Amino acid sequence: MKNAIETKNLTKIYNNNFTAVNSLNLEIPDKTIFGMLGPNGAGKTTTIKMLTCLIQPTSGQAVVGGYDVQKNPDEVRNLLGMVPQQVSLYKDLTVMENSQLCADYYGVPVEERDSRIEDLMELVDIKYAKDKRVGQLSGGQKQKASLVASLVHKPDILFLDEPTIGLDPTTKRTLWDLIRELNDDGHTIILCSHDMHEVDMLCDNVGIINTGNLVAYDTPQGLKDSLLESNKQEFSDALSAISDENEDSVQVSDDFSNLSLKKMSILLKNQDEAIIDSLKRFSDVKSIEIARNGRINLRIDGFDDMAVQNVLNKIISSGGIIKSIYTEEPSLEDVFIKSTSRVSEDDRA
Amino acid sequence: MIEPKKFWWMIKKELISLKRHPARLVSILAFPIIMILLFGYGMGGEMTDLPIVVVSQSHGDLTDLTLDTIKSTETYHVVEVIDDLDEGKERVDNAEVKAAIILPSDYDDDSSHQKGVTLYLDSSDQMAAQILESSTQGIFYRLSNMVAAQTSVSTKDADIEPSISHSLNNFKDDISLHINRIYGNIKYIDFLVPAILGMTIMMSCMMGMGATIAGERETGELARLFMTPTSVSTVIGGKIAAKLLIELVRALILIFMAVLLFNVSIKGGFLQTFIVLVIGALCFVGFGIMLSARTQTQEDYAQISLPFSMPMMFVSGVFYPIETMPWILQKLAYIFPLTYLNDAMRGIMLKGQTLGDVWFDLVVLLGFTLLFFIIGVKRFNRDV
Repeated sequence: MKNAIETKNLTKIYNNNFTAVNSLNLEIPDKTIFGMLGPNGAGKTTTIKMLTCLIQPTSGQAVVGGYDVQKNPDEVRNLLGMVPQQVSLYKDLTVMENSQLCADYYGVPVEERDSRIEDLMELVDIKYAKDKRVGQLSGGQKQKASLVASLVHKPDILFLDEPTIGLDPTTKRTLWDLIRELNDDGHTIILCSHDMHEVDMLCDNVGIINTGNLVAYDTPQGLKDSLLESNKQEFSDALSAISDENEDSVQVSDDFSNLSLKKMSILLKNQDEAIIDSLKRFSDVKSIEIARNGRINLRIDGFDDMAVQNVLNKIISSGGIIKSIYTEEPSLEDVFIKSTSRVSEDDRA
Repeated sequence: MIEPKKFWWMIKKELISLKRHPARLVSILAFPIIMILLFGYGMGGEMTDLPIVVVSQSHGDLTDLTLDTIKSTETYHVVEVIDDLDEGKERVDNAEVKAAIILPSDYDDDSSHQKGVTLYLDSSDQMAAQILESSTQGIFYRLSNMVAAQTSVSTKDADIEPSISHSLNNFKDDISLHINRIYGNIKYIDFLVPAILGMTIMMSCMMGMGATIAGERETGELARLFMTPTSVSTVIGGKIAAKLLIELVRALILIFMAVLLFNVSIKGGFLQTFIVLVIGALCFVGFGIMLSARTQTQEDYAQISLPFSMPMMFVSGVFYPIETMPWILQKLAYIFPLTYLNDAMRGIMLKGQTLGDVWFDLVVLLGFTLLFFIIGVKRFNRDV
């Protein structure tokens, strides 16, 4: 697949010798949604500034849409749209005027300009407020207006910086739908967000940047799976270390093995003692507890891919009717915390 | 290269903003009016109706003539004519009046060789004291000539002990001093107005560029413009043009108000004055661009521009001639562009000079402008 963005050893060192981005190698496939994660001060903003030609890299190369950001900045700019976190439209101009200004700045042909703006307004559902001044709009309306202004020149690549921050849940969902729709239309989207749920749900790929480096890159599920794998490895390493040191430490080993358990919570329509007893006797269930709200909270082997399936089969074969079920899985947030804390520890070392 | 359509958007945007904020528009237009009123009336106006008492201890034609002359002089407001010397002094001491003019008991006595008139003066009010002293000297100089009598006036400062008292016996001599003013009778307001015009343009251009560049950098509008395939010079050029347009309207109001309220003369003609102001505005807009090239916030800009704008205001000969300042300030004055603007403005407005006559000032101003723009655009970065 062709890449929309490619960086090779991209580095930015500011005048005060602060290295904001350190030999970043990143590939963002064309027509995908890429989630750029990283703690504050990790180098995300500097990376975006270099990719959008606002600042020059100190060394390395960045190619956006096939153009080098240093050699062909205007070609790159024509391919990019940006929806910043802070809405940066002129507050005294209307939504229409702001969009016209942006269209003219991008050189959109006059005969197409207004119809294109109107189409975009319909797409993001802001046409009803087209003659309102941006300063008079709500947060969600401003973001929609900002999207129109950013899309008016039909950019191939769209940067979204915390697009849903501070928005109510309904508006958030509308914007998420819109982001998917834009991606379906062929736009490559780079989403910077601290909302892990948003990134998990929307993105095809996620890159985690910390202290100017790319510390993790995969699909959201791939990242979560690799966290599970890495936990499993760490766990077995730790277990063998303990047993090597003290062969009699069965109790310690048992306590530690609890850490490998996964929580599973089930609500049955027809809960009775027979089902509970059968679960208690089932080898895949390590512990069982009946909560006040009637849920059966189990602990099962977190590293056994078949454990959930086995428990469900057991309940069904015992005549149980399942109303609801959830399991505690590693989240993208866990991946984020692990990836960024590991680097911080390395840095400290 | 400058792209006209994008350039025009910057002007259009400013005009739309102003149209939608009538209060801002009024403030922009009122600013020059307030400036000219403040400086014109506060500093450049003539002092009249200063309260005084006359202590008259004599009676006769000369006394009557003197009293009539004093009463008809605009400088004075004669609160009362009394005959008690102590009371007159007391009223000055108590700050009820600014001075007491004391006519001695032998004032009307023809045989008296020297008529010792005393001006008992509250010297704590320096400006009023100066005006009263010179005005009183003038009156008795004229009276002495009229009556061909030997009269003397002595001035006494009420607040300083021992009091300074000097007799001004020159009245008895028939010396006539002819003053030939080569540019006519120039009042302080005439001297002040050209520089007030320059200073107002300087202040509003510098403040305005801070709001336009640093403000938009802070709020992110500038970032959006710089993400488009547009040159820095188009964006900056558009902003300059918008600012210049507003400043020129202000300049017109300033000139109009100065003429209307203070009857200020523009000897070199309106057009030439306007051209000089345009060059001045361009120079200070350039100064603003240079200072705002790297500032991230409006507050930063205000802090950075203040050390330039304030000294410039006081050292560039707006209120006092540069020649009267200490030598170090005189040297400093000549590195500030406002000095050259003031000089050119006074040349055109007061002396009736042409643009050719003030060419040196204009060349220096244009040189500064070029320098500011080069540094500004070079230092300007898209990083927002």
